[in-house]
Amino acid sequence: MGDYLEFNGIGKSFPGVRALDDISFRAESGKVTALLGENGAGKSTLLKIMSGDYKPNEGTLTLDGKTLNLHSPHDAINAGISVIYQERQLVPSLSVMENIFLGALPTKFGIVNYPKLKADCQAILDKFGLPIDPTAALVSLSIAYQQMVEIMKAYRRDSLVIAFDEPTAPLTDREIEILFGLIRQLKEEGKIVIYVSHRLKEIFEVTDEIIVLKDGRYVASMVTADTSEPELIKAMVGRDIGDTYANLKRNDTIGDILLEVKNLTTRYVTDVSFKVRKGEVLGFAGLVGAGRTEVMQAVFGADDVLSGEIIFDGEPVKFDTPHDAIEKGMALCPEDRKDQGLVLWRSLEDNISMPVLDKLTIGPFINTKKTAELTKAAIKKFDIKTSSLDKRVIELSGGNQQKVILGRWTSDLCETKLLILDEPTKGIDVGTKAEIYQIVCDFAKQGIGVVFISSELTEVINVADTIVVMQNGRINGEIKREDATEENVLALAMRD
Amino acid sequence: MQEFKSVPITSKILRSKAFMLIVLLVMLVIVFTLLAPLNDGQFFKATTLQRILSDIAIPACLTIGVGLLIVSGGIDLSAAKVGGLSAVVISVNIVNWGMPWWVGVLIALVISSVIGLINAVLVNELGFMPFIATMAMSTVADAILRLIATDSSGVVRAVINFKNDSIDAINKFTIFGLTWSVVLLLILFIVYGLLLSKSKFGRQMYFVGGNRLAARLAGINSKRVSYFLFINTSFLAGLGGFIYTTRVKNGGLTTLMNDQFTGMTAAILGGVSFGGGAGGLGGALVGLIVIRSFNQGMVIIGASPYLTSVLSGVLLLVALSLDYFSQRRQAKRVGA
Repeated sequence: MGDYLEFNGIGKSFPGVRALDDISFRAESGKVTALLGENGAGKSTLLKIMSGDYKPNEGTLTLDGKTLNLHSPHDAINAGISVIYQERQLVPSLSVMENIFLGALPTKFGIVNYPKLKADCQAILDKFGLPIDPTAALVSLSIAYQQMVEIMKAYRRDSLVIAFDEPTAPLTDREIEILFGLIRQLKEEGKIVIYVSHRLKEIFEVTDEIIVLKDGRYVASMVTADTSEPELIKAMVGRDIGDTYANLKRNDTIGDILLEVKNLTTRYVTDVSFKVRKGEVLGFAGLVGAGRTEVMQAVFGADDVLSGEIIFDGEPVKFDTPHDAIEKGMALCPEDRKDQGLVLWRSLEDNISMPVLDKLTIGPFINTKKTAELTKAAIKKFDIKTSSLDKRVIELSGGNQQKVILGRWTSDLCETKLLILDEPTKGIDVGTKAEIYQIVCDFAKQGIGVVFISSELTEVINVADTIVVMQNGRINGEIKREDATEENVLALAMRD
Repeated sequence: MQEFKSVPITSKILRSKAFMLIVLLVMLVIVFTLLAPLNDGQFFKATTLQRILSDIAIPACLTIGVGLLIVSGGIDLSAAKVGGLSAVVISVNIVNWGMPWWVGVLIALVISSVIGLINAVLVNELGFMPFIATMAMSTVADAILRLIATDSSGVVRAVINFKNDSIDAINKFTIFGLTWSVVLLLILFIVYGLLLSKSKFGRQMYFVGGNRLAARLAGINSKRVSYFLFINTSFLAGLGGFIYTTRVKNGGLTTLMNDQFTGMTAAILGGVSFGGGAGGLGGALVGLIVIRSFNQGMVIIGASPYLTSVLSGVLLLVALSLDYFSQRRQAKRVGA
């Protein structure tokens, strides 16, 4: 074999941003090469160059010494490169076999030869030992199996290079095991596998070599077996972050009860009760789908409460819409910034002023001066990196986008008493994460009650004062920070 | 304090759709002026402009209503039919029902607004796609229109002509030498333009159009925005129907049918984007003038009406393509 994919001095610029600079490395067949780096390190851009979505400004990509000239994803596929993104590139309504053979359906006299299609598809599925029915509709499969179908599609195309972009994000632990089995099999077949992920554990489990990127530059290349987690983090961040949590300036004066939820039941959660005090950071831990988001959506008036009682700031409340909740002093930073949090194509100013427009008017009109002041204050408070107030938020990095949402709820005009943060550090680089932890503690110091939902165990047990652990829409228990360890929280989250 | 630079105003103007359209308009005027001398009058004269402006008052009612809806992520395909229904109600009232003319106008506007309300309910409460709901309502409006247009012997009258002195007087009414419909047109554009670009409510339209879920979670009452806009669109369409009756003195089965197309094309030409969340009314007004000038010019040079239709369609396709490409280029630029 001995095939290899080589990046030679790849550079890519967007207006005002140098996304990649002089990236050179080689990925070999029969090995899994990890691309590791913080958000904004350039991993996605590099993948998009491989998949033909972007053209590099400098440098070349060569496969077995042959320079590739990719103008479109189609070119990349023809050259033998398949990139598997988080968003499936499949047709949900078609069957598994049709999806796998999309674009290359076997035909007889111009009509699809279904018996042959089924047999060919079954052969591929059998080879990898996947218990999938070739004739099943794609939509009937779980996310994990849909991903397998996507991988099988790449395999069917005879792609020499198969790249994965954060493939485990939507998967459960068991599904991840199946995926890793598949990846190992691809490796044994002599494929060049490229694996992009944030999760260090996985990188150690499945990869052979690691390329570390930072701010669009190549930092280091390591052999997985010879490195360690702290060493990798140091390479990624450029500094030691081990004592982030120890350095947090926490709030130590916790006040009266601010929010009390009694026996809350909705479509998604059952009999949930908990309390948040003023100045307290209440963590919500649990696996994805445990119902944490759903509890807070119901409290916030974004989902129907079927039964139960919510007492906020001393009075029983029942919010029909988020608008009502906001008027009483609740604020929510949703899980998915782009889909639920921001109006991406509108300006920083617009996104920050959204909930307080009522207070920014002269007659029916918007007071532009006041809006600008409000925005400047938020930019200063949270150190948001932007060149102008009217920059559209889609042009900001993930961390800065999150700060825009935080800024929205914590201006002088917004009397936030309870701040609900749903996965506030998701997809954010390590440096900004540390900033956000401190911001959370600062809110608590001001007497704001903070609900901190997070799927990252280390984070939630270190930032929150008390950790509520959920599973299957129910609360399994509460643990104080002093007593919490990753092991006991996880054990509680997976009790059944 | 950190200083923030803003995008310079000159480059903002140069990049705006309205500016592009004005350039296009100037080009159209030059072309038609060069082509027109053969046919007696020049294209470029005051009466032509006056004529163009009073002609666009009717489609403008649709452009404003539908344009705002598109900004908020909706669409209304029933607007023209609602306008037609309004014109028929006003005409039939004068001819058959015998109530004062203005009562007919009021009834027409109420019926229009109720149809808008039904559209809003279908979309917001029953979860229909705006496109489907309003298409169905368009059919309903058409059927009501035919019922009303049916005479005592059961025959549907294609056109109901009327004579009414008050409406004649309205038609001849001028302010500073401008016909009342031109004045109304300018007022509508100013009021709605300010509403969209400067007011709180306008900002909310952009938020709802840009990301309805995010707007809701940030405390914006998306439903209220949607209800207002659907009712507003139908009300303005009804108003358009009224303006039509004052000018033409009839209402019929095909009244305003072409204006649905013109109204929407103008909004899109003017930069209202089908993705929602973007665009303004200034561009839409210039867009209307461009389309109307183009049609007027084609009449003056004696072109076939079918050729005019073909080229109008091409114009819409070009506008949509520009919208598509500019969105794609922006998306690429920011690496989304």
